[in-house]
Amino acid sequence: MVSSLRLPALTSLISPSFTRRSTVSLRRRLHLRPPLAAGFSAQSAASSPTETEDRVDSKKSGRVQDRGSTDRVITPRSQDFNAWYIDVIANAELADYGPVRGTMVIRPYGYAMWEAIQDYLNVKFKETGHSNMYFPQFIPYSFIEKEASHVEGFSPELALVTIGGGKELEEKLVVRPTSETIVNHMFTQWIHSYRDLPLMINQWANVTRWEMRTKPFVRTLEFLWQEGHTAHATLEEAEKEALQMIDVYTKFAYEQAAIPVIAGRKSKVETFAGADKTYTIEAMMGDRKALQAGTSHNLGQNFSRAFGTQFTDENGLRQHVWQTSWAISTRFVGGIIMTHGDDAGLMLPPRIAPIQVVIVPIWKKVDEKTGVLDAASSVAETLKNAGLKVKLDDTDQRTPGWKFNFWEMKGVPLRIEIGPRDVSSGSVVISRRDIPGKQGKVFGISMEPSILEAYVKDRLDEIQSSLLQRAISFRDSNIVDVSSYEELKEAISLGKWARGPWSASDADELRIKEETGATIRCFPFEQPQGTKACLMTGKPADEVAIFAKCY
Amino acid sequence: MAGGEKKKSGGGGKKKEVKKETGLGLSFTKDENFGEWYSEVVVNGEMIEYYDISGCYILRPWAMSIWENMQTFFDAEIKKMKVKNCYFPLFVSPGVLQKEKDHIEGFAPEVAWVTKSGESDLEVPIAIRPTSETVMYPYYSKWIRGHRDLPLKLNQWCNVVRWEFSNPTPFIRSREFLWQEGHTAFATKEEADTEVLQILELYRRIYEEFLAIPVTKGRKSELEKFAGGLYTTSVEAFIPNTGRGIQGATSHCLGQNFAKMFEINFENEKGEKSMVWQNSWAYSTRTIGVMVMVHGDNKGLVLPPKVAALQVIVIPVPYKDADTQGIFDACAATVATLSDAGIRAEADLRENYSPGWKYSNWEMKGVPLRIEIGPRDLANNQVRAVRRDNGEKTDISRVFLVEQVKGMLDKIQQNLFDVAKQKRDACIEVVKTWDKFVKALGQKKLILAPWCDEEEVEKDVKTRTKGEMGAAKSLCTPFEQPELPEGTKCFASGKPAKKWTYWGRSY
Repeated sequence: MVSSLRLPALTSLISPSFTRRSTVSLRRRLHLRPPLAAGFSAQSAASSPTETEDRVDSKKSGRVQDRGSTDRVITPRSQDFNAWYIDVIANAELADYGPVRGTMVIRPYGYAMWEAIQDYLNVKFKETGHSNMYFPQFIPYSFIEKEASHVEGFSPELALVTIGGGKELEEKLVVRPTSETIVNHMFTQWIHSYRDLPLMINQWANVTRWEMRTKPFVRTLEFLWQEGHTAHATLEEAEKEALQMIDVYTKFAYEQAAIPVIAGRKSKVETFAGADKTYTIEAMMGDRKALQAGTSHNLGQNFSRAFGTQFTDENGLRQHVWQTSWAISTRFVGGIIMTHGDDAGLMLPPRIAPIQVVIVPIWKKVDEKTGVLDAASSVAETLKNAGLKVKLDDTDQRTPGWKFNFWEMKGVPLRIEIGPRDVSSGSVVISRRDIPGKQGKVFGISMEPSILEAYVKDRLDEIQSSLLQRAISFRDSNIVDVSSYEELKEAISLGKWARGPWSASDADELRIKEETGATIRCFPFEQPQGTKACLMTGKPADEVAIFAKCY
Repeated sequence: MAGGEKKKSGGGGKKKEVKKETGLGLSFTKDENFGEWYSEVVVNGEMIEYYDISGCYILRPWAMSIWENMQTFFDAEIKKMKVKNCYFPLFVSPGVLQKEKDHIEGFAPEVAWVTKSGESDLEVPIAIRPTSETVMYPYYSKWIRGHRDLPLKLNQWCNVVRWEFSNPTPFIRSREFLWQEGHTAFATKEEADTEVLQILELYRRIYEEFLAIPVTKGRKSELEKFAGGLYTTSVEAFIPNTGRGIQGATSHCLGQNFAKMFEINFENEKGEKSMVWQNSWAYSTRTIGVMVMVHGDNKGLVLPPKVAALQVIVIPVPYKDADTQGIFDACAATVATLSDAGIRAEADLRENYSPGWKYSNWEMKGVPLRIEIGPRDLANNQVRAVRRDNGEKTDISRVFLVEQVKGMLDKIQQNLFDVAKQKRDACIEVVKTWDKFVKALGQKKLILAPWCDEEEVEKDVKTRTKGEMGAAKSLCTPFEQPELPEGTKCFASGKPAKKWTYWGRSY
């Protein structure tokens, strides 16, 4: 009966990773994997025995052997990035495909990453004076039409409800693609005088964009996000707010997700439909494609003029409000996966990881089991009490070697091993996910709670900053400074990001997109000193822009 | 539909528009015109804003923070029970939706359909979830293989859409609402049964401990249970003003019906194939509506301290010659002291409004405790605290500020519950005959009656009580059963009664 549930073909989900407007088609056929095998059975095949070195007694004890590397299902990242991404999402149980093409089920492990993002940002939003609220999901079509460039930007991908409760609706309703229009409709009723400003709200919600080409987390028909909306008395305040929020996102990316995003301003061509200015954080993924990971828009008075959102200023004059909107979505989870993962699977920054420490007890003889498990439980308890997210994997269905591989694939930052010898010496063995093999392994760490707690916390901090450093090096070694179109083309053909002075026209920008597949990701806030000449025209340029292919 | 023109002239929740001359700001009273009072209080209290689409409402920060306070509690509790959060899509394909017959009969009339994307028609219309059983269970079938995959306990916080046409009411019956829906699968019925009651207890705590509303735990009749489930338990609240019961939250044991439809099987420890036992459970933003209805009064909302966004509002009361700056400083210091102690407090230092106006404003919004600081208070190093629930005024020395305020908030919380319970209990009437039943129904009572527990009899009760006010139905069979003497007869059929059941009209 389950067959009647149509799961979409994988091709529709993993194919094009270019923006939908891209006309270039350089991608090769992806190596297709079988659809996600059911839960644990898929994981059991995910192991490779490389890490099960002598400490682990699985082979000697005659337990079921781990399967060899021949039937591992994670495509090595180095071999095929897209296939690796899809495999990791399936095997680490981050998400599954939804019943409707292009939709996604976010499984607990993936959702916990989103919750970590929410927990951090929700506090920051409140600290910066924003209140949460909730707007309806349905928007009358007439609202969307009010702001001309907005409707132009969104209309092809709007999902429309025309039937409700068995009846044809009088007016078709849009399933929100974003909420600027409904927000403005309400702001118009709430804002009267300068005393009502600034009005600063946020909502956590689902939004729908009927995209043709989708990819789990990165682009799905429905996704989860937060959208902030603010109204101000002056342009300066709105600009300050838009910059403040892109700064909150930047800090989040660096400090929590260990992603060294480049913050900057979008070109006119890439600006949000209905905004005056769009600020963005751009992240470099492991395949060196750019991911737009968060945006903050200065909407100017575009929506307030369209919706008549006015206030009476201190001199008694009627003025249109100045507005911003800003958002981060579940796409960011995709960014974390694609920034830090390696051939073995996920690698999660400790501050985002749903499980920060996994404890694997190791015993050979039955009479060792109790002692080892008791010690493992008490270590787990110690670390939990210290506020850490701990998983004790005490099942006896799997060998320690299998567990090592499994939790590595799930990207858990630290692993603690406890065997009979460790119990008698009152110590544990600790391995880092980010440093493979013996180099990342330290023996003889005392089980004494205060020592262990301090050691584990220090290592987690180290991993957090080491992941960031690694990503910074990777990013910096893949950005090329260019001073001509030829150099730009070469950099892009090598898969790199090109940074060069830019003051050419929109048409030139579109030509680059046509010819190379690269777009202006942003004019970074951090600009080099000195005079610059546009890489395209040779004319003076005020700023450098970063060009790259993107998701 | 244009934005600007629709501005309401009065009662739009705008501070300026609160009627100064009466000091009330509500044009209806709770006792005389409950329905209008409710619509007005949710708007003027800044909980809700009406919207152009009938049955869809905007949840303003004042309501959202109540929702978040309950969410914080419930989310932590279910995580202790090892329930994990996840997110399933909003969109349901028609094939899956129609899989469970009874289930779809219950929901089909209320489904909203997406039929177009952009300008083009979709090949197959796609439904928007009215609830997620049919979205989730195909995955349960896929993910559950062996007994080690059990129990599977998932929850999601999301919006759902039910395109009803009957009289929409903010929070209580809206076409889109927010809720949590838990869906769990177990190897045995015993485990499922246990969880049903654990969750129901959490729902009781949300109502009684957070919202200060007394509820009755019990089981739904066959007619009223969840479509497609085995049995439904619920917490039932009661609105004395309208004499209507209201289902507060439900915890269902689905049995194996869905498991059979969706082929959710597992291999048990003996290597045999078995079907899982399932539960689903939910509470929604309806909770907030019940809270408004039970505690609100003619001055506006009355919020229980445990869920209120703001527990204490501090208002300066300066006189002409007084040390205004000193008073303002004392207000700020009071807020700082309370905030440091974990109390949600703010000062209203706006200079364009009088203290009297502010009193009315914050009473309308239902803040549990108001602190006034005037020249005399400043001189005596004290503050004046005024309770929202009963208007009681107390002078508090600033030396004991935190402990006194904490004590008062606890008392308010308890008093709201006690008063609500007293009012509810006063409405309960035990009846044993049809005549008395009809009379009690006319008096807006919550009726406890001996019943034969037959579906036909309940249908008959519905038919016989049909009218403008809506028919009476069974609300629940309380777990706490009074003694049922041998030979007691059913109030409606005269057959031997099997149990005591609550009856009444309901929302």
